[in-house]
Amino acid sequence: MAKTATSAFKKSSNWVVQAILIFGVLVTIFPFVWVALMGTHSRSDIFSSPPPFYVGDRLMENYAKLLEIMPFWTVLGNSLFVSVLGTLGAVLFCSMCAYGFFAFDFRGKNIIFGIMVASMMVPPVLTLIPFFLTVKFLGILDTHFALWFPGVANAFGIFLIRQYMVTSITRDLLDAAKVDGASELRIYWSVVLPLIKPALATLAIVMFIGLWNNFLAPLIVISSPDKYVLTLALRSVQSLANSPWGAVMLGTFLSMVPLLLAFVFFSKQMMAGLTAGAVKG
Amino acid sequence: MASLELVNLSKTFGQVKVLHNLDLTVKEGEFLALVGPSGCGKSTLLRIIAGLDDASDGLVVMDGDDVSELSPRERNVAMVFQSYALYPHMTVEENIGFNLRISGLSKAEIASRVEEAAQTLDLTELLKRKPSQLSGGQRQRVAMGRALVRNPDAFLFDEPLSNLDAKLRVQMREEIKRLHKKVRTTSVYVTHDQIEAMTLADRIVIMKDGRIQQIGSPTELYREPNNAFVAGFIGSPAMNFLPGRLLFEGDDRFAVLTDGTRLAVTDERAGEIANNAAIQVGLRPEHLRVAAQGDGDHANRLAGTLDLIEPTGAQNHLKVSVCDQLLTVVDSQLVSLDIDQPVTLSIDPNQVYVFAAA
Repeated sequence: MAKTATSAFKKSSNWVVQAILIFGVLVTIFPFVWVALMGTHSRSDIFSSPPPFYVGDRLMENYAKLLEIMPFWTVLGNSLFVSVLGTLGAVLFCSMCAYGFFAFDFRGKNIIFGIMVASMMVPPVLTLIPFFLTVKFLGILDTHFALWFPGVANAFGIFLIRQYMVTSITRDLLDAAKVDGASELRIYWSVVLPLIKPALATLAIVMFIGLWNNFLAPLIVISSPDKYVLTLALRSVQSLANSPWGAVMLGTFLSMVPLLLAFVFFSKQMMAGLTAGAVKG
Repeated sequence: MASLELVNLSKTFGQVKVLHNLDLTVKEGEFLALVGPSGCGKSTLLRIIAGLDDASDGLVVMDGDDVSELSPRERNVAMVFQSYALYPHMTVEENIGFNLRISGLSKAEIASRVEEAAQTLDLTELLKRKPSQLSGGQRQRVAMGRALVRNPDAFLFDEPLSNLDAKLRVQMREEIKRLHKKVRTTSVYVTHDQIEAMTLADRIVIMKDGRIQQIGSPTELYREPNNAFVAGFIGSPAMNFLPGRLLFEGDDRFAVLTDGTRLAVTDERAGEIANNAAIQVGLRPEHLRVAAQGDGDHANRLAGTLDLIEPTGAQNHLKVSVCDQLLTVVDSQLVSLDIDQPVTLSIDPNQVYVFAAA
């Protein structure tokens, strides 16, 4: 009797948990679906009451308008260029720095590492003005270089990869490679990099999303419209009177597609990297 | 193959000196075992020979050339690690051939040498597997294959069998011995297992606290230990020690135990120890006989009480209380005895060891 009551309680609590989760999923994906739907409606439909929660017939019209108000594909290309270079650079340089912290003993190593980790606690907005001044001093204002290069060796990436190395690579492995005759660069390339793939994938996704969504840095660095990235371009057309919301929504949705694709392909590695070391394997 | 020489070698970590002015020569083709308790510095010494750590002082000489400043890759030594240290993302074939690829050998040359090493170690069927798909013994063999394929001047083994179960350890020990007999490459083998050292090595170096206690063949160390530490370390079960003093009576020498028992000692064993000096009396378990069963008629007798019997199958290990201490006695006759029964032990004077008390 008691057993039946317990199993009934378990069943009902399962339902409650599932209902909460489904609600959470709906809340999370609603903005994406909403943006996609609004991209198929005209401005007047969007502001009608109740708003149209169905696929409209103004997709091509919005697309034509989008191309009219901004060089969409150029801007998308700019975003891709900045995000891909920044991601590749971060994966390469963060893993190299992390290898340095992991494999070498040098004076002040722990202090430097500590300062580096502490620097992650500084709110990024606080560094905006120094960032602008530095970029101006270096003469790289209004260049894409100023968007992707400064982040290629960032504290978060170095910390993430170094921690992953600590949990997944033994000292004996490095020693074995040394005795096998491998140089430090060879050990890094042939032994260490293949073993930290999940962490690299995690960093790549985090960096790509960060660079793709970056708004503040392009806002203060880029001034030429032909060098705009997506975030900046989409924002700039919103300031016009009588904003073409259908086109803006379509542009916003199209700008999310690369991220969604990246997540679909790399989510497994991303989870593996983020949970590495959490469970003893 | 190369000879290896350590000259006045020291190593200091901060304020702590872990190796004290070691001098050691390993002859070409010799199998030398470094044995000692944990923390005695044997692995540090091996890492210095490999070039993975630098000595604070002294030289590492190979074939007459000082290699102290050379990197591991320039020393042409191969090392087998306790953890095997196989590259998890590479197949067995790639693991074994890694060094050859770095050396820039042709693909055909690499394939033939890997194949040869695999045949020697019975790994041919496993070449396409990853280390995670291998058993402990197979991984160990791959680690040895990786060392073997290079034709190094010296093999360095860092407790290579300690992660294996007892049965596999015996099997791998035989394989290592057979392999060394075949290739005759100079080998330095670090272990804390004295049985492993005794069965494998041509010579053994016993270390304690960063100092060499004695160097010799397994038989020499067993028969003629320099001090109580070596005597206690070599032999299984370990040698029994009883406190006492050395007594001279004319030309005769006696070890007098705390209960007044006198054991005749040969001049050779008494050595330079002075009359009436405090000593440690060393009695090997396998040299003690239970006199009550007529199996020990030596002049030296010790009275005690049987405290415990540990049967091991072929023999019993008796724990006999003598002078308020438990002595281990190996009883190969499997005599029938009762717990708490008084027993008399006997031992040949030639087999009574005495060491100056510390």
